[in-house]
Amino acid sequence: MQETNKQVPVTVLTGFLGAGKTTLLNRILTEQHGKKYAVIVNEFGEQGIDNDLVVDADEEVFEMNNGCICCTVRGDLIRILSGLMKRADKLDAIIVETTGLADPAPVAQTFFVDQDVADRTKLDAIVTVADAVHLSSQLTDHHEAEEQIAFADVVLLNKIDLVDENGLEVVKQRIKKINPFAKIINTTKCGVPLNEVLNLDAFSLKRVLEVEPDFLTSDHDHEHDDDVTSLSFVSDTPLDMEKFQDWFTKLLQTKGQDILRTKGILDFTGESDRYVFQGVHMLMDASPMGKWPEGKERSSRLVFIGRNLETMNLKEGFENCKSA
Amino acid sequence: MKADLNNFPQLNKTKFENRGKEFRLGIPVINAVTVGNSIAVGFGDGTVRIFSSGKSSEPIKAHKGIVLCMAKDGDHILTGGDDGRFLRISLDGNINEISNFGTRWVDHVTSKNGSVVCTSGNIVYLWMSNKKEPKLLEHDSTIGGVAFDSKGRKLAVSRYGGVTLWKKDYSNKWTSSDLIWKGSHNKVIFSPDDRYLVTSMQENQLHFWRLKDKIDSAMSGYGAKVKSFAFVGDSKYLATSGANDAVCWPFDGDGPVGREPICLPYVGKQLVTFVESFPNENAILTGLSDGSVYLSEIEKANNTIIIRSFTEFEVSAIAVTDDCSHLLIGDMGGNILWTSIWDEEKN
Repeated sequence: MQETNKQVPVTVLTGFLGAGKTTLLNRILTEQHGKKYAVIVNEFGEQGIDNDLVVDADEEVFEMNNGCICCTVRGDLIRILSGLMKRADKLDAIIVETTGLADPAPVAQTFFVDQDVADRTKLDAIVTVADAVHLSSQLTDHHEAEEQIAFADVVLLNKIDLVDENGLEVVKQRIKKINPFAKIINTTKCGVPLNEVLNLDAFSLKRVLEVEPDFLTSDHDHEHDDDVTSLSFVSDTPLDMEKFQDWFTKLLQTKGQDILRTKGILDFTGESDRYVFQGVHMLMDASPMGKWPEGKERSSRLVFIGRNLETMNLKEGFENCKSA
Repeated sequence: MKADLNNFPQLNKTKFENRGKEFRLGIPVINAVTVGNSIAVGFGDGTVRIFSSGKSSEPIKAHKGIVLCMAKDGDHILTGGDDGRFLRISLDGNINEISNFGTRWVDHVTSKNGSVVCTSGNIVYLWMSNKKEPKLLEHDSTIGGVAFDSKGRKLAVSRYGGVTLWKKDYSNKWTSSDLIWKGSHNKVIFSPDDRYLVTSMQENQLHFWRLKDKIDSAMSGYGAKVKSFAFVGDSKYLATSGANDAVCWPFDGDGPVGREPICLPYVGKQLVTFVESFPNENAILTGLSDGSVYLSEIEKANNTIIIRSFTEFEVSAIAVTDDCSHLLIGDMGGNILWTSIWDEEKN
């Protein structure tokens, strides 16, 4: 019997060791903001956080027996979030720190899969702290770094005082190529107002309507076959709902492991409502989101972030969904 | 649904509510444990209160955050909290800290014949009778639940991938064997006759093993996670939460394989959130997500009486005193009912 407005927002904080996650966590815990935040840290975290509301976690990833082949969740998070929700004093937000080498997908999937977690908490946003000096080499060397950028709703590009203007631009282009949706915030020492990283509601379907992706005009060339990239499609011709569902369901079932995130706003023939969805791997949240705004052109937009996207015939698949 | 006190439905109170004592504490009730003719209750603000006939206790400040787990230990209780403390508390409120794990939570506690156990992360800490230092039993993943058999010679530890069954030989050495079933296992219990081991899972199902031949099977079909289950009477039935009905699996003879459970329906199609056996009877106390509690005889579906009407908060604890004179009901909204069971008893 939980109400949606009682769901406590959970921010996932990712980023490589040394990027500045602990600096941000310490600010969240010590600044006078009048809010009550719990912080779930991992066992390999940097030292220096001491607070009653800091919880140690083990980053235990396990598979669900739900027929979804890539569906892994964070068991420790289910346990800790369920525990925190039993507290007499209500929390304003929870922040989950992940280790530098963690894949953010199981964390995000936990909020889709576990009913108790979904009833009482909601995934607010994935915030990735990146080191402006080292991000480029980390992206080349570690696929986890790419995933952390690919999943991010916000990238805190930290330590910008240590790179020149040109270097900063190169890093930003690299981030945008992987993830055109992420909002990039330049910081030194994670000096960002907390309301730009907490309580963003980035995983609500409403926000999908508001965020305009910042696509690069350049082509999609990349150095390695397994680079994470993004592709987007737009159509002014309405789509056939049945054809779209057939194509998209099959696509996620067969290629869900390589598709990291998807978002879309869809215009279906004969429907007066906008359909909005967003997904993490094979899991998806979708709903009609009210009428199309008066006087504005209706169109469908679809974005994929993932690996090997060029092998999935996405353009052709999408074109085939258009109503005849 | 929204709690609006001005429009709170004034339903007829049950006779148990009329003669019992109601406490509206506003602090989530996490667990309740019977110790003789008293019942200890753990709350979401870290306090413990002891209820007994004629008395209700002042809150005992046990933990900083939540009383995560609680068990009986002789005439004391054991508690574990999110402040990393593992405590032994007497009924008059004396606290003895057995161990402190700092920022790591104490997730489960249990005891049998003087041995006490707590778990934190993937480690079982086992204090054998009269031993000062614990024995550490390590597992590959975080522990979902822990239970002794009736003699205290076996310790079942549920985890990801199954159950580790520890066995104590006569030289007090512990050796382990594995009961394997894919998925994450949470609460674990032995049947009262020690023939069966049952776990609830992360998926909406339970799993059981018959220990003599290690035959195992899933019990599925639930709409929600099964968080509460209990053997009833002489272990003939396993009563379970997680559906609109209280689902009772037969554990007599060769167990539930190939047999249908008895489903006890309740008014209003609320989810069953808590079940507790009624001592010495084939009857269960069933708590629902709207706060109502019923007493039902398993084999006589029409023999159900209402103990507590609804509060709008899910039932999170039910306990009956050892002499079967009183019972206590608690919910996530912090409402407690303490009442005598029989008409002539005093509160």
